[in-house]
Amino acid sequence: MSRALRLDKGRLREWVAALQKSATVIAPVPLHGADVAFQPIKSADEITLEYDNPQDSPKRFLFPQSEDLLRYHRNGGYQVEPTYDEEKRVIFGIRCCDVSAIRFFDLTLGVEDLPDAYYARRRANTGLVAFACNAPCKECFCVCANTGPSLPSGGGYDIQLTDLGGAYLLVEVDTPKGEELVAAAPQLFSPASADDLAQRDALDQAAEKRFPRDPRLYFSASSRKVSVDAVEEELWRRMAQWCVTCGGCTNICPTCYCFNVTDAQMNGAGVRTRRWDSCQFPGLTREASGHNPRPEQLHRLRRRIFHKISYQYVARDGMQGCVGCGRCVRVCPGIRLGIPEVGEAIRRAEWK
Amino acid sequence: MEVMEKRPNIYLPQIARIIDVRDETPDTKTFVFRLRDDAAHAAFAWRPGQFVELSVFGLGEAPFGFASSPTRKGSFEITIRAVGALTRALHAMGAGAEVGIRGPLGNSFPYDEVQGRDILFIAGGIGLPPLRALIHNMFDERPKFGNITILYGARTPTDLVYKAELKEWASRQDIKFMVTVDRSEPGWEGNVGMVPTLFPKAGIKPEGTVSYMCGPPVMIRFVIQDLVSMGFADEDIISTLERHMKCGVGKCNHCCIGHKYVCRDGPVFSYKQMKGLLE
Repeated sequence: MSRALRLDKGRLREWVAALQKSATVIAPVPLHGADVAFQPIKSADEITLEYDNPQDSPKRFLFPQSEDLLRYHRNGGYQVEPTYDEEKRVIFGIRCCDVSAIRFFDLTLGVEDLPDAYYARRRANTGLVAFACNAPCKECFCVCANTGPSLPSGGGYDIQLTDLGGAYLLVEVDTPKGEELVAAAPQLFSPASADDLAQRDALDQAAEKRFPRDPRLYFSASSRKVSVDAVEEELWRRMAQWCVTCGGCTNICPTCYCFNVTDAQMNGAGVRTRRWDSCQFPGLTREASGHNPRPEQLHRLRRRIFHKISYQYVARDGMQGCVGCGRCVRVCPGIRLGIPEVGEAIRRAEWK
Repeated sequence: MEVMEKRPNIYLPQIARIIDVRDETPDTKTFVFRLRDDAAHAAFAWRPGQFVELSVFGLGEAPFGFASSPTRKGSFEITIRAVGALTRALHAMGAGAEVGIRGPLGNSFPYDEVQGRDILFIAGGIGLPPLRALIHNMFDERPKFGNITILYGARTPTDLVYKAELKEWASRQDIKFMVTVDRSEPGWEGNVGMVPTLFPKAGIKPEGTVSYMCGPPVMIRFVIQDLVSMGFADEDIISTLERHMKCGVGKCNHCCIGHKYVCRDGPVFSYKQMKGLLE
């Protein structure tokens, strides 16, 4: 249902201010130094539109690092009440790889037959205003994952913005929720021209060409080998020697959603909380008996890669679990266990 | 998305009361539960092989298989060994205490599709309780099945669960029941040896027989090899797989084997299915 509008960049702040009347707006905000982070804003003046995709993806606004699931207390017997977050949010300036990651969450955590009520509520209350990339970041490879630098209609965004280089933003409205966001300040928008759309396509193609000519990852080769168990255990072992089990790769991954659940209680009243967990930690699979089906780090590295790129998971989930954002490349303190490096080692069957 | 919000919350437990507790072994007890809400209990329908996530409030949740048959509806039973903080706390609870129950969860043992066939049960230690749910179910509908053979092994005679019930099984004319222990104790006059030592004595005929097993991973591995060499088809070797299940609904990723979720795609798998699991 896509329809294309244009918005004067100088009036962007007016639109954001209008959105703030009915929702918390999350947007890229410059921090001290060169970093940018997605944060709830107080004023539209805080937003920057010149940013590399922040190291923390916006996933925590839909799937927080820690969240209460329910409260309970004893009143005669136990009474249990779910704790829902009903806040309305707009994630403004989310990049296309992260929009694709949310689509992955919709297909897994939010699946129709067994929805996660907490994720589903936040998702229903969250608008996604994507901002297409006109240039790649240093480590990203969305072209390899087919998740960017811009997305087609149906890609998961409610609105997609593109900087046309001049005074205007192209505004592609793709969902009823997107129409609501435009309706917050309809006077700011005018129809886009055929030239605007042609300009966008040209920018998109130019952006694709700016990716390294020899991306270090070929999903087709590494996915096939992972899917048919054609990777030598010794290769996994040599790669896993670089892992310090920090869990950084899974924490910053926009598609990782392993979680653990714990209770805390005092005087017969308590709260059940879930927190991000990681397949890189031995405790994820350790059983009460002490038996651990993934006893060594090589098993856990293999697990992470299998979940991200195997055909089995693509078939099960409906899309690949790696969206090419490149964050794991940046975060790994062993420097070498980002998806592209591991994928390349698998493809070449060697690790230098 | 709007529709999704109307679905029930998969993480919200119902409240169940312990109505009886029976000692089985020095570290294992059988708990008899009933949902606190009568209407909810009446609507509570499970199949053998399925499990619940049981909350001990303050300590969290752990998964346990049903040990009783859905044909016996007034309550449901779960047999639990005390191994960790949650199970030890549960062992300290008595009749009247309340726990949380989410379920029934997971798939179940093939039942309707094996009617008319011979049935072989192989249980090791605390693996008997989940099979007992299916055994009781088949006892209650005995004419629907051919020969039923039950082989049960435990470490010592003390470690056998359902001791009184085992005596009754041994006296039944419509089944064959054999029990063995790894190590004898004074007063034990029965078989000594691992479960597979019962196979020659039990007169197992693979043709037309479907086998169900539950026990420690090492037992499962060896028994599968034995059954395959006896001539059982891969799809007629049925077992439960054990993993650390947390959410019970295929979300938290604790129990994955390859791309399968033991909690949601299992816990019951045929050997044919197990062979397709990468990991």
